[in-house]
Amino acid sequence: MYDNYLYFPATAALYTLSVVTVLVLLAGVIASTTLWMKGKAPSLHHPLNAPAIIKAFVLECLLQVQILRISVVRWLMHFCIFIGFLGLFAQTALMAFMSHFVPPDTFIAKTFFVSPESRLGGAGARVLDMWGDVFGLLLLIGLAIAIIRRYVLRLPQLETLLKDTLSLTFLTVIALTGFLCEGLRLTDPAYADVARYSFVGNLLAALLKNIGWSAASYQAWVWTHAVISLAFCAYIPFSKAWHIFVSPLEIVLDASERA
Amino acid sequence: MEQEEKQTPQETSASASEPHDTAPAHIPIEKFSARQLLELDACTRCGECANWCPAYDQDSREPLTPRGRARLFKDILSRQHGVFRAGSLLGKLLGKKPVSPDEMRAFAKDLYACSTCMQCHYVCPVRIDTVELWEKIRECIVDCGFGPLDSQKDLVLKTKNYDNPWGQPRSSRSRWTKVAKKKKRITEEPKDILKSKSPVLYFVGCTASYDNNVEEVGINTTNIFQAAGVDFGILGVKERCCGSVLLRMGDRPSFVSICTQNIEQFNGLGITTLVTSCAGCLKTIREDYPKIGSLNFKVQHTIEFILDLIKEGKLTFTRDVPLTVTYHDPCHLGRHAGVFDAPRRLLQMIPGLRIIEMERNREYSRCCGAGGGLKSGYPDMQNRISQKRIDDALATGASELVSACPFCYQGLQIGIQAKNAPIRMRDITELVCMALGIETGAAGGNAAGDE
Repeated sequence: MYDNYLYFPATAALYTLSVVTVLVLLAGVIASTTLWMKGKAPSLHHPLNAPAIIKAFVLECLLQVQILRISVVRWLMHFCIFIGFLGLFAQTALMAFMSHFVPPDTFIAKTFFVSPESRLGGAGARVLDMWGDVFGLLLLIGLAIAIIRRYVLRLPQLETLLKDTLSLTFLTVIALTGFLCEGLRLTDPAYADVARYSFVGNLLAALLKNIGWSAASYQAWVWTHAVISLAFCAYIPFSKAWHIFVSPLEIVLDASERA
Repeated sequence: MEQEEKQTPQETSASASEPHDTAPAHIPIEKFSARQLLELDACTRCGECANWCPAYDQDSREPLTPRGRARLFKDILSRQHGVFRAGSLLGKLLGKKPVSPDEMRAFAKDLYACSTCMQCHYVCPVRIDTVELWEKIRECIVDCGFGPLDSQKDLVLKTKNYDNPWGQPRSSRSRWTKVAKKKKRITEEPKDILKSKSPVLYFVGCTASYDNNVEEVGINTTNIFQAAGVDFGILGVKERCCGSVLLRMGDRPSFVSICTQNIEQFNGLGITTLVTSCAGCLKTIREDYPKIGSLNFKVQHTIEFILDLIKEGKLTFTRDVPLTVTYHDPCHLGRHAGVFDAPRRLLQMIPGLRIIEMERNREYSRCCGAGGGLKSGYPDMQNRISQKRIDDALATGASELVSACPFCYQGLQIGIQAKNAPIRMRDITELVCMALGIETGAAGGNAAGDE
């Protein structure tokens, strides 16, 4: 086990929080699916049609062309949030997996992750730096459009409930605290040579330095970011974000039925 | 329209039934499919459906939107059947209250403010199979004793008692054929298929059979088939309602009963094709019947059948029809059955005819408001919806509004009369007759100003 470049050790407290998160998330998933399974009528009237399912998954779940046909702005908003969330989730999941299951002396670990001997990591770590910034920025762009449409323009077609506000708040705070953590990390002079790869974090680091913030508060903010992120994960099955999993299922089932 | 008003039960009030003073019966959740229950979670509440819903367009209350309906129903289900249901330990912790009769009544009232036009499915980014869901919810609401609305119960009762929603005697179902023969509108009455054993059954449908204003549909169809030398017959007094009304109102047991009888009757005829001029009958027989039992024949709308006759060289258009028309896609023919191109192809074949599309056409065609029990439950709303469709048609500058469904014909005629609009309502079969040189007598289809 070694520190990853976020300097965020996997402590017992983090493991405990993660387990609680998974349990709450599972409870929510079970609560929903239990209700679904009370329906006894046949869900499908035709055999599953694989080509139709694949086509609908690519075009409507991944590329979301059906939203693009309605509105470019709405597509941009949704696609940015979708791809940003997915990219950041994948990055976090990959790092968690690697730090636990890839031996530190392997080529992959040396290329992509930091070690006690190599605090900056290899060339691959820069890809991950940029990855986080690109997807974080996409998420923020999407969220900004969503917030403007819902709370500034107050578009008549949008009905705002507490769960809408909560989901948007969670995602916005997660994205902002993520960038704040990165900015704080990059205020450390040790990262000066590689900071440019984290183009957003680097910009933020400069601003933070100007107002006198330093990497000293880094650990506290990383904890804040982690706790909020885990809380959001636990909240997913009870929230609007549940559609991330359920809506694609309905899209492909309908495509198959109508093929 | 005067006669139609006599025939059609139209009440101005729309109130849900009041069977309970205490806690209402639980929704029979097992009647849903897992997919339908999942759909309640799949809705992202993006509101696209609200932008298009014809009922919400007339009454901007959130419970009327498909989005609002899904959310309210999910709440009812969760409180009755969910892990956090009212009365359970977890439910008590979260302060979940039982569903009250008033809540159910209000939900039922808004649930029936829907023409089941399926526009919401076509614009839903998540592809929720909305109409199937609404009809299943209606079925459960009926089970709980809160539906249909008082003003719709008459339709259901009449369909069950008389085999037609207009409450007309069975013996007069084929009266139109005798009258048409007497008036020399048809050269000979259609054959009784039970005797003729013809390969093609013309299923006339209740509206075209009983409504004098729409009987032209049956007369024109008969003339076209006879001109093409089609060996066809009708069931006459043995024809029953297709059951569409029962299914849309949520009385599924009665629908299954009438559907089973019809399937047995149709399959026993030895026909190759069932043809109907009614979009509602087509949708019900072609899309809903196979979910109950298998059919041993093909089901076609008159338009599709006529196109086949033209292709086979059995019909040739010989006369110019110098009219400017716009075509209204019936919801049950277009969005429900996917027939968008056939009527347009047929119209384009008619010599001299000029066709102008309305801004909202094909998948996005605005509903006339007549379906789904809306006309009987909320006649004022249907009237206003119909007027909006007439506005769409008038904006094209066309002098004729053409459709392919007797029920839409009725529904749109209401709008034409309410606006005193200078546009004439026609069924597509009338234009086909004109192009074939067959005399038509569409007095009932005149523009309001002509009457």
